Amino acid sequence: MSKNLPRTLALTLTALFLLYPLWGLASPVGRWQWGATGAAPALATSFALTGAALAIVVAAGTPLAFSLRGAPRGMRIAFEATVLLSVLMPPLALGLLLALAFGPGTALGGLLLRLGIPTSNDPAAFVVTQIYASLGYYLLAASAAFNAVPRELEQSAALLGLKPRAVLWRVTLPLARLGLAAAVSLAWVRALGEFGAIMVTAYYPHGIPVQLWVDLQDNGLPAVLPLLLVFLLSALPLPWALRLLARARGHA
Amino acid sequence: MLDCRIQKTRRAYAVTVDIAAGPERLALFGPSGSGKSTVLSCLAGLETPDGGHIRCDGQTWFPPPLALHHRSVGYLSQKEALFPHLSVAENVQFSLNAAAREQERAWIDEIRERLNLAALWRTRPQQLSGGQARRVALARTLCRRPRLVLLDEPFAGLDRPLVRELAGILKEWQERLRFTLLAVDHDPLVLEGLCPRVVALEEGQVVQRGDWSELSRTPATPTLRALLDLTP
Repeated sequence: MSKNLPRTLALTLTALFLLYPLWGLASPVGRWQWGATGAAPALATSFALTGAALAIVVAAGTPLAFSLRGAPRGMRIAFEATVLLSVLMPPLALGLLLALAFGPGTALGGLLLRLGIPTSNDPAAFVVTQIYASLGYYLLAASAAFNAVPRELEQSAALLGLKPRAVLWRVTLPLARLGLAAAVSLAWVRALGEFGAIMVTAYYPHGIPVQLWVDLQDNGLPAVLPLLLVFLLSALPLPWALRLLARARGHA
Repeated sequence: MLDCRIQKTRRAYAVTVDIAAGPERLALFGPSGSGKSTVLSCLAGLETPDGGHIRCDGQTWFPPPLALHHRSVGYLSQKEALFPHLSVAENVQFSLNAAAREQERAWIDEIRERLNLAALWRTRPQQLSGGQARRVALARTLCRRPRLVLLDEPFAGLDRPLVRELAGILKEWQERLRFTLLAVDHDPLVLEGLCPRVVALEEGQVVQRGDWSELSRTPATPTLRALLDLTP
């Protein structure tokens, strides 16, 4: 018990520190305004479009993170530097750069517009911004997950007659599952909570973070806190479930 | 039938080794850094030779390098490399698909009983001792009925009775399944007990071939003599 005491204390204090801001939900701000204007559409927008962005990030990012392991050193370092640049970008700056680079005045923005794909204030712009905001995080975490899989286990599987695809499915992915679950969770919370960049590129349709801002401006805290609570309760189950599922698979 | 000539340049020297072996047990013996493990790595496909050729039972493994999964090789080393997310049963049967597991039921049962794995069958590798893990690795290797079995010091760190037991099982099944076995070990007693024939290497070159009694009587080099004299 005494051996565990310092650890228990450190974990408890850190958890309390992290949870303390939630105490703000109990602040005396007046009667909560449930169902303020735009809350339900904002939730629907956020979850549908974040789901789409996450699907693209995972579908494109997983094979990319896997292939990075076998890439030549120079190529890997250059690519990782690029990914870090995208991760380090302040969200507001990312939004401004995206608006400028995809604006109708640019060749790409003009082409997309002629093809009927608006590059601002549109679901497509919303999803693309979320992809820019979360892909780097997913790649870093997924690469770390794949790198943690011992090579000799994959070689053993190959020597036991498994083709590379079967090695991936039966050895690499199961062993990387916890790290991949963390990567998906990270990408999910990063995309869902994105505010600064979305504010610039896709103010409409309102997602939850923008709706929180709008409610704060128009209706004050009594309208913001209920939406925030609903947001937290609906956003957290996915990363928790992924984590639990990955752990359960590992110890089944 | 294994027929190979392996050339591989190392920082300190070049390995050039010819081996022709039928369904038999052959030891590779020599001091540390003589190229024994390099030869095994090249045969398994973990490393690519710089030149030469490797053929096994009429199939060319090099050149060009044949993918690992097309080589019928069992490779056992000090690292058991068991899959931690699978049970002992799943590890042993890893190379077999569902249909093959049904067809090979009797063979799997025999391996399980012979290697005393019945009580461990549902446990995870993390719960095994070193000796138990080595048994599982051996069972997994034999389950596939490989044409070539490579032993890269798989008995290191095990006690004598267990080494004798595992070596006995390997001898028994090599004679039954008629695969070629190449063994490397730091302990000549282990090799002598397992392999009737030996190829001695020094600095990447073959310095002597023959049976163990020849090698013990007339070692070709002072280094070999010293290595054999160190044997307790």
